[in-house]
Amino acid sequence: MKTTTIAAILSAALFALSPSAATAETGSGGVVNEFADGSVTREEGLTNWQTYYEVASHPRCSNCHVGASNQPMWTGPSYGASLGKARPHGMNVNAGESRIGVETLMCSTCHTTLSGPDPDANAEPHAAPRVAGAWQLAPVEAEWFGKSSSYVCNQLRDPERNGDRSIREVAEHLDHDVILHWAWNPGGGREPAPHSLQMAMDALMKWAAAGTPCPAE
Amino acid sequence: MKISVNGQTRDVDVEPDMPLLWVLRDELGITGVKYGCGIAQCGACTVHVDGLAVRSCQLRVGDLDGEVTTIEGLGTPDALHAVQAAWIEHQVAQCGYCQSGQIMAAAALLDTNDNPSDDDIDAVMSANLCRCGTYPRIREAIKSAATSLRSV
Amino acid sequence: MGRLKTFTRRAFLIGSTAVAGGVAFGAYAVGKPHANPLLDGLGDNEAALTPYVRIDGDGVTLITPRADKGQGAYSVQAALIAEELDVELDQIKVDPGPPAPAYWNRAFAEEGAAFMAPGDGIANWMTHGALSAAIKTMGMQVTGGSTTVPDGFVKLRQAGAAARETLKLAAAQKTGVAAGELKTQAGQVMLPDGTSIPYSDLATIAADIEPPQDTALRDPSEWRLIGKPMQRVDIVPKSTGTLNYGVDYKIDGMVHATIVLNPAQIGPMNSFDASEALKMRGIKAVVPVTGGVGVVANNTWRAFQAARAIEFDWGPAPFPAAMEDHWQALAESFNDDAIDSRKRDDGNVEHAFAETAGLISAEFRAPYLAHAPLEPISAIVRIDEDGAEIWTGTQIPRFIQNNVGKITGLDPDQVKVHVLYMGGSFGHRLEDEVVKQATEIAMQMKGTPVKLTYSREEDMVHDFPRQIAMARMRGSVRDGKVEAYDLGISMPSVVASQMARQGLSVPGPDSMIVAGAWDQPFAIPNLRVTGYRAPELAPISSWRAVGASSNGFFYNAGLDELIHAAGADPLEERLRLCNIPEARKALEAVAEMSGWDGVLGDGRGRGVALTQSFGVHCAEVIEVTNTDAGIKIDKAYVAAEVGTVIDPVNFDNLVKGGVIFGLGHAMNCEITYTDGIADQDNFHVFEGMRMHQCPVIEVRGLENGSRTLGIGEPPVPPAAPALAAAIFAATGIRLREMPFHKFVDFA
Repeated sequence: MKTTTIAAILSAALFALSPSAATAETGSGGVVNEFADGSVTREEGLTNWQTYYEVASHPRCSNCHVGASNQPMWTGPSYGASLGKARPHGMNVNAGESRIGVETLMCSTCHTTLSGPDPDANAEPHAAPRVAGAWQLAPVEAEWFGKSSSYVCNQLRDPERNGDRSIREVAEHLDHDVILHWAWNPGGGREPAPHSLQMAMDALMKWAAAGTPCPAE
Repeated sequence: MKISVNGQTRDVDVEPDMPLLWVLRDELGITGVKYGCGIAQCGACTVHVDGLAVRSCQLRVGDLDGEVTTIEGLGTPDALHAVQAAWIEHQVAQCGYCQSGQIMAAAALLDTNDNPSDDDIDAVMSANLCRCGTYPRIREAIKSAATSLRSV
Repeated sequence: MGRLKTFTRRAFLIGSTAVAGGVAFGAYAVGKPHANPLLDGLGDNEAALTPYVRIDGDGVTLITPRADKGQGAYSVQAALIAEELDVELDQIKVDPGPPAPAYWNRAFAEEGAAFMAPGDGIANWMTHGALSAAIKTMGMQVTGGSTTVPDGFVKLRQAGAAARETLKLAAAQKTGVAAGELKTQAGQVMLPDGTSIPYSDLATIAADIEPPQDTALRDPSEWRLIGKPMQRVDIVPKSTGTLNYGVDYKIDGMVHATIVLNPAQIGPMNSFDASEALKMRGIKAVVPVTGGVGVVANNTWRAFQAARAIEFDWGPAPFPAAMEDHWQALAESFNDDAIDSRKRDDGNVEHAFAETAGLISAEFRAPYLAHAPLEPISAIVRIDEDGAEIWTGTQIPRFIQNNVGKITGLDPDQVKVHVLYMGGSFGHRLEDEVVKQATEIAMQMKGTPVKLTYSREEDMVHDFPRQIAMARMRGSVRDGKVEAYDLGISMPSVVASQMARQGLSVPGPDSMIVAGAWDQPFAIPNLRVTGYRAPELAPISSWRAVGASSNGFFYNAGLDELIHAAGADPLEERLRLCNIPEARKALEAVAEMSGWDGVLGDGRGRGVALTQSFGVHCAEVIEVTNTDAGIKIDKAYVAAEVGTVIDPVNFDNLVKGGVIFGLGHAMNCEITYTDGIADQDNFHVFEGMRMHQCPVIEVRGLENGSRTLGIGEPPVPPAAPALAAAIFAATGIRLREMPFHKFVDFA
């Protein structure tokens, strides 16, 4: 059993570490709308960035965009809001450098993998959310939790830290990654990420058309 | 639908969204796997799917893809798994209700890490709740089981 | 009192009645011998040698009537019987036996774990109407109050000895060898010629023998089992998933039910609409029960799902809607009219305060807490025309007989109760709502066994939690010493709330309001402890260590504030004040174990606490480090005085578990109510301690005292105050309210 198990874990890990194949890809039905370069003013670009940052900094997204601690966060009315602060995921959970828990406890131990998309799969309050893909943290370069608008903005436009993607590719990634789709339909009474997937994609593309301006610190 | 549990193929007539936990307990009468919280907070329902630990309360049977092993399939009173033998040697259990899940989690840990450090044990076992507070014995039993598995 | 003493002297009563080829003779301490309940249903070649020993052709079964919630009670009871009976623990089976007056808990009544303080004579209570009636009619077959060991330590060994001597008489009759020349060993009577007769072969003859009444118990130097490590009788099944807990039990033809109760605790249900639920797969019925509905299905999960599809009109909870009003009710009860007891009033605190320039005062709080054993509560009930049968994990089988009798109109004797293994309790299974509700459902489908399983959420939200409590202290110091300590504690009466649900009203003060505070082993020159009875708020119940679970924190935390003001060392000053030798030895033990030499420094801190509860002096030292991620609890040192440690392995496990239980709840657990609805419904918001937070714990059992005592509860109360003191030493933050995570982070 041991060999099989390790092989399974490794293949899961490799799968996770490849950004383009991070999760099962299913288009959300969103559209990557094009905006010509220069058609969006810098001011509008910053406004669109702010829209995107409202998504990126929302706990539904940023809880799993954590840094080298590899510890996801819990934020929300049931997870410490009465204490007025966010907190690390309970149960000493740490996703390891693999970001899927290979070295520690596989995220999929609790965040099981659906055999196909199901918008109603997360109706149970406080259960482990799940999607039709391997549950995992975002890459460590994309550390968003607790980071400023300026920091996240500069990270996202930096190919060194965004998986070597154009902004269009980032928008396509949004369209394809089923974990991200969950953020807008989290179920179980969880607060969804603000705006919508389409608005987030449009905000990104307008920001790009404005030349990816970033706010000052 | 057909599922494979402890080496046997079982036919079950259930909704695909029924958690594996309740298929095992109420449809197949396999009660070593326990219901404690229903939301992946306690780990009492832990089983293996293809050797990996999974909370059976979170796995809808329709999403199951692999061979299920429960505590009953890990070892029996007459043919103990090394982890079970260590649990007995250290007399880990108080009420014992969480221990099926603890043992399954520990067995999965040792399957990939045959010499876990205290931090390794903490990383895996902190997701299994014991209300009686048997953690010190769980830690010692895992180390004993690791030693005996390494000597095999 | 005289009557009781008579009972005690006659503690070894023997009754002998031959039934169907078997015999029963017993050892039990009551005025009039209760019938041996094992006589019913004995087959040929079976003998019930006392209410605690049953022998048939297959071997020996020991009856262990104190329920096993996980604390190893079956093993400890079996060991006490086996010690004198001369059987090995791997030769016997254990069976909790039927509910019966013969199994009443004398220590529970005398020690008054839940009902009175040590020192109150049982005679006072026996003459009080309601409780007296309860003890007599119910036989008080209760598991609780850390009483299994004190109750059974002599009684069960006597039962084993009586059975052993009877078996020798039977062997003498069978072989003609004088009984005095026979020995016993490993379940056999040994003849002088080296041959032996298994006990099981002697059952029929033993059935006709009048058992000896005056067998002396063996000297502790002869003990084979007591004091040595034992293998628990349930350890193999509990390590292989083969133990049937209550929630695992199956009866042919059984249906699976769950319950939905008004989320506003004990509020009424005005109406419900189950039309959608009834369309769901596998749903057989939705029936009203008191305060909600039962959902009957062919699978537990289907019942859970259907429960969510029912629409309800609920009434409000009959207690304050907002938590601040609960606290306000406690605060307002600090007045002379609400004094419930003032059991300690040494010196004159008011004089001391009049002479001090620096009066110290503080207020402390302890929240409601769920019991939350990992196995949710469940019960199987089948109602027939002429009887009822119950399968459940319970600490109160006799109350269940009575309550099911009331609901069904059956005589309590027609209600057969099977006590099953429990996945924890912590006092939860001293309540029997689940059985009453399952009975209400089963009454609507007679002849069908109904298994009622609570969801975790229903279990936590509808638990009757630990009491909410508040304390106010004043004190003064002089010349580096604690001079005066005035501690007032306000809480609702746990006993009143709990007994009211059994239809009983308990007169007089509730000593649980001051348990763990009034009777502590410290001779402070001016010391006053006052209990204030707050009005009933949310319904509450006995939670591991009951009153002492909150009061151990209050007493020690208040004392620590005074010691700090005096500039003294927390352990040295406790030792200076300590006036009970056993308590002093416990403090000295943890001092030695921890290498206590004052402050630790470098972001580390240590704290000490001692609480006497259930007669046990339990001292604990906790060490913490203030890390970037929060407080890390590094070490715990525990010493507890129990007279005799029966099984050192189980003792060690229970003490560690008690410390973890005390620490975990102090760290991060509370139940709060909003509009009468508990805000916490599962373990994501009621976390307790996890593996990575668990300190290294060193345990020492002390055997200096004359009484043999139980260890299930006493390690809990000192854990929270020792932790608070350690955190204060490490951070300077004084924690006066549990749970502490409201004020500090834990790593």
